[in-house]
Amino acid sequence: MRISLNPSHRLVLALLGLAISGAQAEIRETSVWWLPRNVNMFGHTIDFLFYVILILTGVTFIGVFSVLVYFLVKYRARPGVAALHSHGNNTLEVVWTTIPVFIFLGLAIYGNEQWTQMRLKTPPADALPVAVIGEQFGWNVRYPGPDGKLAKMEAAKVNKDNPFGIDSSDPAGLDDFTTYGELVFPVNRPIRLYLGSKDVIHAFYVPEFRLYQDMVPGRIYDFVWLKAEATGKFQLACNQLCGQGHYKMFGKLTVSTAPEYEAWAKSKAPSPSVTTVVPPSPVAMNQK
Amino acid sequence: MTTATPAHSTSHGAHEHSEPTGWKKYLWSLDHKVIGIQYLFTSLLFLFVGGGLALLLRWQLAYPSTQVMPNGDIGNPASLAFINPQFYNSLFTMHATVMVFLVVMPLLIGAFGNYLIPLKIGAGDMAFPLINELSYWVYVLSGGVLMASFLVAGGAAAGGWTSYAPLSSVAAYNSTQMGQSLWCVGIFLNGLASIMGAFNYITTIVNMRAPGMSFFRMPLAVWSLFITAFLLLLAVPVLSAAAAMLFLDLNSGTNFFNPAHGGQPLLWQHLFWFFGHPEVYIMILPAMGMVSDILSIFSRKPIFGYKAMVFAMIAIGFLGFIVWGHHMFVSGMNLVLSAAFGVSTMVIAVPSAIKTFNWLGTLWGGSIRFTTAMLNALSFVLMFVVGGLSGIFMASTPVDIFVHHTYFIVAHIHYVLFGGSIFGIFAAIYTWYPKMFGRMMDETLGKVHFAFTFIFFNLCFFPMHNVGLGGMMRRIADPTAYEHLRSLQPINQFITLAAIGLGFSQIIFLWNFFRSLKHGAPAGNNPWQATTLEWMVASPPGHGNFAVTPTVYRGPYDYSVPGHKRDYIMQNEPDASDATLGAPRSTVSVG
Repeated sequence: MRISLNPSHRLVLALLGLAISGAQAEIRETSVWWLPRNVNMFGHTIDFLFYVILILTGVTFIGVFSVLVYFLVKYRARPGVAALHSHGNNTLEVVWTTIPVFIFLGLAIYGNEQWTQMRLKTPPADALPVAVIGEQFGWNVRYPGPDGKLAKMEAAKVNKDNPFGIDSSDPAGLDDFTTYGELVFPVNRPIRLYLGSKDVIHAFYVPEFRLYQDMVPGRIYDFVWLKAEATGKFQLACNQLCGQGHYKMFGKLTVSTAPEYEAWAKSKAPSPSVTTVVPPSPVAMNQK
Repeated sequence: MTTATPAHSTSHGAHEHSEPTGWKKYLWSLDHKVIGIQYLFTSLLFLFVGGGLALLLRWQLAYPSTQVMPNGDIGNPASLAFINPQFYNSLFTMHATVMVFLVVMPLLIGAFGNYLIPLKIGAGDMAFPLINELSYWVYVLSGGVLMASFLVAGGAAAGGWTSYAPLSSVAAYNSTQMGQSLWCVGIFLNGLASIMGAFNYITTIVNMRAPGMSFFRMPLAVWSLFITAFLLLLAVPVLSAAAAMLFLDLNSGTNFFNPAHGGQPLLWQHLFWFFGHPEVYIMILPAMGMVSDILSIFSRKPIFGYKAMVFAMIAIGFLGFIVWGHHMFVSGMNLVLSAAFGVSTMVIAVPSAIKTFNWLGTLWGGSIRFTTAMLNALSFVLMFVVGGLSGIFMASTPVDIFVHHTYFIVAHIHYVLFGGSIFGIFAAIYTWYPKMFGRMMDETLGKVHFAFTFIFFNLCFFPMHNVGLGGMMRRIADPTAYEHLRSLQPINQFITLAAIGLGFSQIIFLWNFFRSLKHGAPAGNNPWQATTLEWMVASPPGHGNFAVTPTVYRGPYDYSVPGHKRDYIMQNEPDASDATLGAPRSTVSVG
């Protein structure tokens, strides 16, 4: 469904919370009044749940607002009209306690089910593992080589010189390649992220992926996975305050076709003599 | 329900201290009313400090091109002209710290808690007047320490008011060792002041209610402050301990939170939010209580579902301690735990919904007077509904994965804290100012102030939902650094203009507040024709409050009782017959 709207209509729709998903990408290009387009498999559920809550809360708000305004007009002080002397109504109390209980429990149960799908289910075996380790103020990225396996990472081994906490003799890691602040995801292939940090807490945030995850030093999280459903260029943003340079800690994230990804990976692959890639300095990375 | 034993038959007799006069009164008085007014003035001053910080950071967000100093310190005057990223980080850190710890808590609990509790329960003063005064001065000290942190090398704390470790706990990471340390000291002292206030309030309410003032005859304002005091007593020590640990990590080589040496960053988050979520309710419950009273007064109706309101607040107080994890859904803590916190968070929305419906029930069938106080109270209800509903998005764990740490949540907290608490505070000021100072505030100026505040507030904060959904992160010094946020700039500039309008609207309030001190119409004892005990005594009440301890004969909301000429019966009036009630005590019209 594609709807063409002039800007003022878009504004009104967005404000009313009625923007329709088909028009989102268009709105995104001109002004950011609403959700950016979604490219992640899990984003559909998140957007669906978002709209369910939006409708529930919108109806509730309109209801409360209408009743409030109606009461204010109807029961404004008028000479000779006394207020009712009422201390309440227990039946009403029960009704307006029970209804929210069921609505909220329903939301919680459905939300938990989706949460389980996204976070507690093991990612598919063919998922491409990608490690992203944050630092002030950039991103160390590690991809597997032809063997499809990353070197085993241990949070306890992460330090200044070993951002990924690997054992350099691990054979799985010999063909790994690294980048600094540059990510490429092949489209329609599950990606399993390994997220960590060298120093302070950072966060992996891409609005088009409906994805936020803190990256906590001392831990490597392996439960985040995703599948990009469309190609494009995106910005990876740090969304956990991490210091002076936080505001420009961003990275490049490209979703490309499988052949494009393979070509890119080949171009980044280490020559046999080089075992570690020295990241460029953070200053050079802050391409403003 | 048994009735309370009066602590003393005449309030004056129980006071061993003599009341200082003149300027000394505002240094050494142990009178809860003076201390309440001290809290009021001090926290209003900080309201403007915090607001000023907000305007500076809004300026930076709208016009980041003015940022030309890549790196600078505040001690250097040249760097003051422009907001560099580090100073920007200090600005939002201190804006939130000031607003939470030096404005909203002290206004609701320090100012109105102090002023209203003894008067509303028929007591002569707080149980521990000296500790009460000490609490105020420790609060002032905490404010001084936090303000001083702007002047130290490196500037004020810049790790966010949540001070997540290890950014906050390792000097090499934050470059603000002094500022962050002073933040810890300030928060620790502020916590002491809160704890002193809290056990004082609890003791006072439990032991010093007038004869006949059973728990279920207490006005909801007192109930809300009572429950809040328990929350303070249980939550604040955790923050104080965490602040002490953070201070030690920063300065003494401990490693509670530094994973490089075996510490746990998530420990800080658990400690902080174990305090931080009850804190959310600490900052809204007293406003709920006072607004309930105000809605009842100006609807001329008993509060709808009084006991449901009390139990809803108790439920909020209890559940408030088991939802802290919803701030940490995306922190990577145990994923099953996130699911559990998601359920408890949805459940805590229920008592808030109950309260909203009961407020509407109170208006139903009323005879509503649109005073400035009432307009602010109504706006509290409406804005709280918006803030409460927008919270449901974050409570849903999958949606939180998307909106966490975006401007959506900035909009949410401001709808609750400004739209809720601050409008509640304005309502309370317009209601109890006549009691505090013996004069009325100007209604016309009050309504103009309300209209501008309400409009600019919504223009400022509502679009933040949209920028947040558009993907704008909070706490970034320059949104234009991101390609995907550049198209947001017109909205950001619009928000900033609205924020400036919101700030300048408060000048009307200040003018009204200070002008009315001298030129307001005399208030009389009971200008709003209200029922609770504070309205039976002179405005302002004398030292010791009640010449003779009142006896309470009825609940707090006997408005529009059928068969009576007068539409209110005060709590201390023994018999409901017109003969004993006599003429209304005050003829100042309302509405």
